[in-house]
Amino acid sequence: MSQKFHLEKPDHIRRTLLKGTLAFTLLAATKVSAKPLFSSPVTMNRLRPPGAVPEDIFAGKCIRCGRCVEVCPYHSIIPLDARAGVYAGTPLIFAEQVPCYLCMKCVQVCPTGTLQNISQEETRMGLAVIEKYSCITWRGEALCRTCYNVCPFKEKAIHLDQLRPVIDEKYCTGCGLCTHGCPITVSPGKKAINIEPLFAQARVKW
Amino acid sequence: MVSASNKKTRRNYSRYRFLVQTIAFLIILLNPFANYYLGINFVQGWYQSLGIGNLWFVSPLEGLESILVSKLIYLPLIIGMTIPILLALFLGRVFCSWICPINYFSEILDRIRRFLFRKKFIKDRIVLPKFLLWFALIGELLLTMILGAPIFVWLSPPGLVGREIMMAVFFRTLAIEGLVIIIVLTLNLITRRFYCRYLCPLGGLLAFLGSKRKLVVEHESQCKKCGMCSKICPLGLDPLNGESSSSYCWNCGECVDICPDQSLNFRWHSGQLNQTSCLQAQSDIPPQDEL
Repeated sequence: MSQKFHLEKPDHIRRTLLKGTLAFTLLAATKVSAKPLFSSPVTMNRLRPPGAVPEDIFAGKCIRCGRCVEVCPYHSIIPLDARAGVYAGTPLIFAEQVPCYLCMKCVQVCPTGTLQNISQEETRMGLAVIEKYSCITWRGEALCRTCYNVCPFKEKAIHLDQLRPVIDEKYCTGCGLCTHGCPITVSPGKKAINIEPLFAQARVKW
Repeated sequence: MVSASNKKTRRNYSRYRFLVQTIAFLIILLNPFANYYLGINFVQGWYQSLGIGNLWFVSPLEGLESILVSKLIYLPLIIGMTIPILLALFLGRVFCSWICPINYFSEILDRIRRFLFRKKFIKDRIVLPKFLLWFALIGELLLTMILGAPIFVWLSPPGLVGREIMMAVFFRTLAIEGLVIIIVLTLNLITRRFYCRYLCPLGGLLAFLGSKRKLVVEHESQCKKCGMCSKICPLGLDPLNGESSSSYCWNCGECVDICPDQSLNFRWHSGQLNQTSCLQAQSDIPPQDEL
């Protein structure tokens, strides 16, 4: 009796079931295997262009059109590739290699509002942090003040306190010019003054 | 006599289309060079978002994904999407057939194949139901919302063409995701425009927008039912069946060009679409089920 029931079972139901199972398995597999691909590439000295929305919604809002990359006159902005997971194609600035010169061209061309149109002074790509145990001025070995000299907001964002550089977080835009200029390389990608993307970690309230 | 006069008034939409496609491709091909070497920023981007001066175009699907995922409305984005959406509403999927670089490459591939094998028509090996296009669109939007990151914006083949050119010019390297372009073009060898027919979510969205479009290919009475139009159609549609006014048609004009009786023509519709005009006119053909 039961066998007969099975034989009479319409074929398309089985097909639908099979398809559903396959789709579910694939989806589950993607979800599990892609977990490391969901972590943000924004870390120390790896910054978003000026005016970027928090990392929380950056990957969702950016349409990877590459206009900020094309418009950047210093070629500071680099699009990420497939290794960045869901962040592939999003723009990133490698601050110690080519910093942002705050020309504010990219924020004017972004079509999605991922880079909001803000002024130079309002830019908060991160905050410069001096590593006092590596900085030769703070160690008292030399009188280097490169970061002070290259800072676009000299005397505001960086001032010299007893000839040693001090950051004022009220004015620092996190452009990375100081990181780029710093002569001390602590380890690959790390200088004695680094940009910490503090503001990228903000949460967005719906 | 008749054939001679036909030859004189032969329509040449294919030639115009090829010209438009070439210009559209040259924009995204030459623009990175202008940006990189000359510092001319007048034009930026490619067919995900193209900025010409202060005139911005945003691809509707990418914009829609961005809005769906971020749940934020940004006015310049909406304005940038307006022109492509209006284009799709009135003219249908013309972006796909007249601008998209993937279709441009596919057409060049088709021309090469026709030349190599000395065949006028290319056969489609695998023909799937056309409604898969809607599944592609819905599935893509759902997957985008599940992952919380737009997939198509990164893996869209028309966008990838532009990105690969930019990567090659700016960074002298190619991104690995360019393999998608090669896969999509290789699928053409199985069935012409396999990706465009069944898998492209952007095509799906534009087809959906263009389902009530004004510009359609329509029949006239002198049709001799030679069937050339359905053989030449790169999407495998059958204009004899009224499929040229269905939402799948992308108004490329191939069928209009090849029609020996000139019974197919572009028509600007002001009222309701008449999908079975040919069948009604010729009542001797029994009505067939639509796919």
